Amino acid sequence: MASKRIAQSAVNWSAMAEKVGENQRSMFNAFKLKSDQYLRRVMANPEKPPAIDWSYYQNRVAVPGLVESFKKQYEALQVPYPVDKVTAQVDAQEKEAEVVIKEFIAQSNRRVIEAEAELKKWASVLPFDQMTMQDFAESFPDKAWNAANPTFWPHDAASQQEPVKAEH
Amino acid sequence: MLSRVALKPVRSAIQPLRMTQTSATSNAAAAATSESSERDLVNFPRPVRQEFPAKVRMGFIPDDWFQFFYSKTGVTGPYTFGLGLATYLCSKEIYIMEHEFYTGLSIAIMGIYAVKKLGPATAKFLDAEVAKSDAALNSGRDVSIDQAKSKIVSEKAEQERALAQKMLFDAKRENVALQLEAAYREQLIKVFTETKKRLDYQVEVQNVQRNLEQRHVVDWVLRNVRAAVTPEQEKATLSQCIANIKSLAQQNTARI
Repeated sequence: MASKRIAQSAVNWSAMAEKVGENQRSMFNAFKLKSDQYLRRVMANPEKPPAIDWSYYQNRVAVPGLVESFKKQYEALQVPYPVDKVTAQVDAQEKEAEVVIKEFIAQSNRRVIEAEAELKKWASVLPFDQMTMQDFAESFPDKAWNAANPTFWPHDAASQQEPVKAEH
Repeated sequence: MLSRVALKPVRSAIQPLRMTQTSATSNAAAAATSESSERDLVNFPRPVRQEFPAKVRMGFIPDDWFQFFYSKTGVTGPYTFGLGLATYLCSKEIYIMEHEFYTGLSIAIMGIYAVKKLGPATAKFLDAEVAKSDAALNSGRDVSIDQAKSKIVSEKAEQERALAQKMLFDAKRENVALQLEAAYREQLIKVFTETKKRLDYQVEVQNVQRNLEQRHVVDWVLRNVRAAVTPEQEKATLSQCIANIKSLAQQNTARI
């Protein structure tokens, strides 16, 4: 007999479902369906086989010694618990996933910091209706007029061209 | 221009009372701005763009000038001063009323008429245009802020989801355990049913044998009994039966 025998599911499916993104919902449902099938397969059979009424057969079967030998052999038979070969694979998968998760979270935190920097930038920008042209040039140096980098009329992106190098 | 320079401290004291602003301004004021910690915002607040001119009397004289006189001369002071100054300038011919003065009067009348008639509509149109351009500018800002905020929220959610993968692996391990358990139970049940099947077979074999024996014995007894019965005995039995039926019939008719 194995020491850890499992009788019922300990997975909190509702808590897990909350964490699943919309794009992975169908995969999650398939996984849950499979898990439920495994659980149902376990529940289909009792934990221990029902006891055999040996005295009933002893009275009925006239062949001498037959029931006794059956009983002896039945009780001597030990069904081995199946060997677990895949949990190690799952553990390895988990280890791999941990690395990926760590990397993803680092990247995600970087993106969060970027977004927070953006928020901070907007918090420091004056309301547009209170701005002078100077304030605008300070807040948006790339959009404001710049003497070092003049533009061609009508000053939109489509009408700009490379300055021609004059030969003297 | 003079009105702006004349009484600056008085004006800045009055300024907070005139907070009549359009929607565009209040929207901008709501947008918080952060400043360096070294900046003294109490004593040197950031100048706010004025949307309306200062208050005037008689259509063109700044109210601040009247306020300046009140503390020194009382309420009639500014009028006395103004009239006296005008009388002095006219009587000494410092201000000469030549033909241009009368042209100016008629032009002033036309100007006042135009401002009264067309002013409100023009102001409304221009305010709407200003509000439109402010909204266009602020929408870009609002969109950027919203995007950044929603990005932060979604990134946090994604992080939680990524961390929740531990639950997935727990479930996977449990699935493995469940399958092992299911196989084990199936094997146990198989042993049980196979043993029981063989025992039941033995019982059934004996039952069938006993049934056959019983039927055979019964058949044998019947066959022997039939063989023992002679034709005379049969005839006697038959006649006895007929006699019995007759007597029964007589008894029944008598009763009726």
